[in-house]
Amino acid sequence: MEASLLEQIRFGYGPRTGTEPAAGGVDPSRVLAQLDAADPASIMTDRPSLDQRLAMVAEAQREAKQFKAGQIAELTVLPRLKQATRDDATAWILTPVASEAGFRERLVNFWANRLTVGLRRLGSLPYLSGGYPDDVARPYLNGRFSDMLRASAWHPAMLLYLDQAKSVGPDSRIGRKKDSGLNENYARELLELHTMGSGYSQADVTETARLLTGMSVGPAGSTFEPARAEPGRKTILGQTYGEGPEEIDRFLNDIALRPETAQSVSLALARSFLADQPSEATVARMAAAYLESGSELRSVYAAMLADPAATSNELVKIRSPQEFVAATLRAVDWPVEGLDGKVRLPGKVNQALAAMGQPPFRPRGPDGWPDTAAGWVSAPMLAARIDWAETVAQAVSRATKDRAEPVPLARSALGDLGNPDTIRAAGQAEQRWEGIAVLLGSPDFMRR
Amino acid sequence: MARELLLSRRGFLVGCSLAASPLLTPVTFAAAPGQNRLVVIVLRGALDGLDLVRPVGDPAYGALRPSLLKGEGGIALDSAGFFQLHPGAAALMPLWQAGELGFVHAVATPYRSRSHFVGQDVLENGSASDQGTLTPGGDGWLNRALVPLGARQDLAVTVGQEPMLILEGDVPVAHWSPIDDSSLSAQGEALLARLYAEDPLLASAYPGATDLRHDGGAGADVQPVELGAYVAERLRGEARIAAFSYGGWDTHQNQSKVLAKRLGELSETILALKQGLGPDWATTLVVAITEFGRTARENGTVGTDHGTGGAMIFAGGAAKGGRVLGDWPGLGDSALLEDRDLMPTRDVRAYAAWALRSQFGLGVSDLEGVVFPGLDLGADPGLVL
Repeated sequence: MEASLLEQIRFGYGPRTGTEPAAGGVDPSRVLAQLDAADPASIMTDRPSLDQRLAMVAEAQREAKQFKAGQIAELTVLPRLKQATRDDATAWILTPVASEAGFRERLVNFWANRLTVGLRRLGSLPYLSGGYPDDVARPYLNGRFSDMLRASAWHPAMLLYLDQAKSVGPDSRIGRKKDSGLNENYARELLELHTMGSGYSQADVTETARLLTGMSVGPAGSTFEPARAEPGRKTILGQTYGEGPEEIDRFLNDIALRPETAQSVSLALARSFLADQPSEATVARMAAAYLESGSELRSVYAAMLADPAATSNELVKIRSPQEFVAATLRAVDWPVEGLDGKVRLPGKVNQALAAMGQPPFRPRGPDGWPDTAAGWVSAPMLAARIDWAETVAQAVSRATKDRAEPVPLARSALGDLGNPDTIRAAGQAEQRWEGIAVLLGSPDFMRR
Repeated sequence: MARELLLSRRGFLVGCSLAASPLLTPVTFAAAPGQNRLVVIVLRGALDGLDLVRPVGDPAYGALRPSLLKGEGGIALDSAGFFQLHPGAAALMPLWQAGELGFVHAVATPYRSRSHFVGQDVLENGSASDQGTLTPGGDGWLNRALVPLGARQDLAVTVGQEPMLILEGDVPVAHWSPIDDSSLSAQGEALLARLYAEDPLLASAYPGATDLRHDGGAGADVQPVELGAYVAERLRGEARIAAFSYGGWDTHQNQSKVLAKRLGELSETILALKQGLGPDWATTLVVAITEFGRTARENGTVGTDHGTGGAMIFAGGAAKGGRVLGDWPGLGDSALLEDRDLMPTRDVRAYAAWALRSQFGLGVSDLEGVVFPGLDLGADPGLVL
């Protein structure tokens, strides 16, 4: 089931040269059907699962002790963890390059960004967060937001990233004995960034922090430690909660189903896919679908896809650096088969992404990557994109012995959605590779 | 100008590790008439003013921060012993003794929630909104100050990857960033230039991008001392205003260690500025501001959470230092804002405005109407000699 050119550009990672897109514009049911197809998840199939990562972290810690004590001469597990982190970054680019369900891959990245876990050089976090999008976003993006929120809240990477694992109820058993207490970092970002965005008070943040105490990370992953949990009732937004994981889950469910959350999530989706300033009416329809369905995301996507901005031929959004890089590789039909183990890319993709403003897994803060043109358009970041376009064009030229023809590539990448001058310019360059660089570095190619 | 800047920058940029410190981000410069200089440092992440300048003379302080005060003691700032400086900033004590370093306590922007992202936007935008609503242009206050200041428009330059709001706005700012050399032919460049000229979203970024691709060196790993030296070098030339940001102040846990490291680096940067400026240090004022302070009470993880009232640092040969300015609101239960934060007693924008007025003679109507709309400039705090 091929997507149309417009569907691939606006709701995916752009067309892959060599495949024929479906005719027509945007057909919402065809876009949604991408979510029903089998999901190969990642083309790098040997990346470790969360449980495997946790086991490796525990083993690496044991090894580190033995190494210090002089019992072993070499660390064997840490290098494997580091390799897994490098593979995570590669998979972040190559999975959307390989996937024909571009909408699903865009959603994986949207949701992982909405519920951001950054990579900090602290303890085991760097080694647990690379699989986070596959653990938290991918399984639930066609289900309920309430379930995804719960998965994120209980993911060890989230509990570590926003300090929740360290928070202790002041009147809990541990809190009374030890000099420790609340940390409201996660509680605040949960309300501000992950769910409501507005409509709560400082008192709600503090009460949420009290309620969430006990959520922790042990050697086997997330746990609930009653000894850290603040006893007693907590009142958040007028609702009263007790203690224990069931009460936390009940709260997460309640907060996911708040109208403020419906609005905030819908606005973020529409802003990401449709326009930097999406139509209020559409956002309201999406929020209504969200609330009526109890946060069933498919109904929210359907409301989004019904917006005129979804079907318009005008490309008003700027691709993120990850989307841009993946789109360049799809446009030149970069080979992705059989890439397990050794992956070859045209250039130093992580450094290029950093220069474009999006170093893999390192957003500036828990609010994640920007989702509007303002965050991605500056002279240095644009310079880095055009440099990448040159790098890819030169690599394609080398790989094809300068046989890749820029004009057919430009037609395949842009069709009739781009400025006709772009296709013409690709043909007017002095050399073939330069024509490809002009295409991939053109303003049309930055848009979706 | 941009080109000359780029060439001179190569001298000190080291390495090209992109895992490099993400803490230092863009540096921005503008030229202005006269010899006075202003450096604005945005401390991203909310510096804990109550730990930087410890009000040990306040009877409530010790009980609020039992764990944080367990480590190395502070350095007495005044003979009365009311304030102590965090030991991580010890390297700055000679400046304090020379009257070239001062602090302002219990200041905040008008913003009264505790989101970093909104708080930093307000800090750089100069908005009067307690809700975090930005001024209509959504631009930076330092950019708005450039016009009345008579700044040469072609001399504002940002260094780094991301835009920095404080100097974004109508006055064009050029960017510099280390990126590989371009290899497209003149023809290829001309084709791209034509396409970009027609694109409303991207046209304005393109000329700068082209300059960067032609002029870029290698390497982005800027260390504090090198940053200070570089900024000083520009300020000894035509630049009179510099702005850059420095992150990593969000000390929710392990604050003693993290803050000591950050303060040490910030001190190095300021000292490198002094050294690099030489005789021009005498006409320089440095101000370091942050989006808000942190909770009066330490939290349960030997850190502090997002608060309100915080501290501002000012330094320089032009500074009238050796003083902790501001009305001290006290830390008793009834004195705290919402029973948790240091109560701000003055708008930090007033100090920023007075810095501009003292150094460049900006008019009251420009400051209260254009640069910081809705600000009551109030009495001169006397930041400079």
